[in-house]
Amino acid sequence: MRLRNFINHLEEGIIGVLLAAMTLLTFSQVVARYFFNSGAVWALEATTTLFAWLILFGVSYGVKIGAHLGVDIIARKLPGKLQRAAAATAAVLCILYAVILLDASWLGVFSDRLNARGGAVDYIVKMHRLGIEMEDLPIPRYLAYSILPVGLALFALRSIQALWQILRGDRAGIIANFDGAELDGAEFADAKLQTAADAMQTSQPPTRDR
Amino acid sequence: MESLLLLLFVLLFLAVGAPVAVSLGLSSVLYILLFSADSMTSIALKLFEANEHFLLLAIPFFILSSTFLSTGGVAKRVIRFAIAAVGSFRGGLAMAGVFACMIFAALSGSSPATVVAIGSIVIAGMRQAGYSLPFSAGVIANAGTLGILIPPSIVMVVYAAATDVSVGRMFLAGIIPGILDGLIVMIAIYIRARQLNMPALPWRGVGEIMAAARDAGWGLLMIVIILGGIYGGIFTPTEAAAVAAVYAFVVANFIYRDMGPLKNKPWRAHKNLIRAGADNLWLTAKYFLPAMFHRDTRMVLRDAARTTIMLMFIIANALLFAHVLTAERIPQILTEWILAAGFEWWSFLIVLNLLLLLGGQFMEPSGLLLIVAPLALPIAQDLGIDPIHLGIIMVVNMEIGMMTPPIGLNLFVTSGVTGLKMTEVIKAAAPWIVLSLLFLTLITYVPAISTFLPDLLMG
Repeated sequence: MRLRNFINHLEEGIIGVLLAAMTLLTFSQVVARYFFNSGAVWALEATTTLFAWLILFGVSYGVKIGAHLGVDIIARKLPGKLQRAAAATAAVLCILYAVILLDASWLGVFSDRLNARGGAVDYIVKMHRLGIEMEDLPIPRYLAYSILPVGLALFALRSIQALWQILRGDRAGIIANFDGAELDGAEFADAKLQTAADAMQTSQPPTRDR
Repeated sequence: MESLLLLLFVLLFLAVGAPVAVSLGLSSVLYILLFSADSMTSIALKLFEANEHFLLLAIPFFILSSTFLSTGGVAKRVIRFAIAAVGSFRGGLAMAGVFACMIFAALSGSSPATVVAIGSIVIAGMRQAGYSLPFSAGVIANAGTLGILIPPSIVMVVYAAATDVSVGRMFLAGIIPGILDGLIVMIAIYIRARQLNMPALPWRGVGEIMAAARDAGWGLLMIVIILGGIYGGIFTPTEAAAVAAVYAFVVANFIYRDMGPLKNKPWRAHKNLIRAGADNLWLTAKYFLPAMFHRDTRMVLRDAARTTIMLMFIIANALLFAHVLTAERIPQILTEWILAAGFEWWSFLIVLNLLLLLGGQFMEPSGLLLIVAPLALPIAQDLGIDPIHLGIIMVVNMEIGMMTPPIGLNLFVTSGVTGLKMTEVIKAAAPWIVLSLLFLTLITYVPAISTFLPDLLMG
């Protein structure tokens, strides 16, 4: 349980730091341009790389907390057993998606007519061998891009975990389940509703002496 | 034929309940495996480089700034101003809710955020003032969609990225339609209120309006920074969004003090003005770094990052999907077909609206826009439709999509805020959708509403 808590905090910490770093980097460039008449050539590339890390690292966390949007109106109309089968299929599709993008060559065993070659892993291996750096950043390309296979692998792992939970009946589906109404910010709503009631009753402005 | 298979894949995957992003991505991947010569490497790289559109970088910053402002007391201040301005009409609280949504939309780029921030407070207030819950929920679910029509707007950023239209023009183009939409809803409420004899709030005088405006001013200054910065050529839209995020942090932590280490610290601890000023400067300097690492700030960062990830994952996969469509020359084929079928601009827009309304039922707005905009733009240009006008039509369509089931985000959020069941929220929103459809017709056939302001200011 403690380990789970730790991982939770770690994941949330990492995505938060990545977002903050992107924002401050972009902001600092505006400041640098207007107040110091300078700017860093690598700033843009650094920001877009951080952005890619935020998204690719975050998608697996999104699976874990069930934040990814989808349509469940059709699946939910199904009878109990089929409903679970549909949810399991959806999880399998997520796994398939990540695995094919990681490496597609194994699909070649099914048919010669499939165009099965390459993938994220292949790219990293190649870049490692060639030893190319990023365009502006003095960082090896394979390192900057390593989040692509890592993120996809984490996505596959979290989807496998979700599949397991669905099969065991602990989880309804892989997509966001709105019955709990836990959509970003919506969790603030409860707390707000309480303060709202008295705020409106008196129609008094929030006090701030100035 | 093969491209029909692509569409079939998407619908099938969506139907079993796969995430929108994976449905789009996996069908593109399978299509490439079956019919294309591209290697999977180049496709996987598209995910990493989805943000090579510099513009898309603005999205996380807009999300961050609006998260800072929604957790802070900005919503409360905006609502106070709205009530002071229109509360004394019959049905005034409902109208004030709409007005507050309009103002908040100018601070936030997304509809659900607007519903949460304004709705959670106003709906509770409307209940107490004797409005029915469905009426309150319907009004706010509808007015919240203004979040994507009134600039800044994440959906407009996405449209601009997909079509290479200037974001500045798009933002300007949204102003008049946004105000018009809000006015139409307010007038409808007023008429309803006269019929049903809804309550009115007492008039508190111009003084209260001024005081409320001054109080909300710090938040409203953000929209001035964004729009002024972009049109003044001071910074790019992406930089404007980053500046807005930092500004929102400062306002929430040090001016409004609704969050962070200075929460609830008074501004006037001393009677003496100079001492109080020095005191506040000292407090700001002392707590600047702690505020950056404060628990509240970390919460905001986490929530904004979550929303960003969810949205960008869809966008990245929609780009992948659009890439497959383009590689298959679908836009060209479609354009030829539409032109050969003898469509005029007005009949094309009818078809487009119907398609978008239908698509909006199943897709998240940004994803749908990324796929449809590259298809529709060449046709529209051949038929002489202004890309800006086309963009506004699409955004208004997305607004309607946000309050119609099954994937109307605003409905979900409204259900979360009110505690009503989804089916009840859908029923509550239905009459307002009719109003929005009328507004859509108006926007579609009077291009000047959208193009007047950008043409006037940017030539």
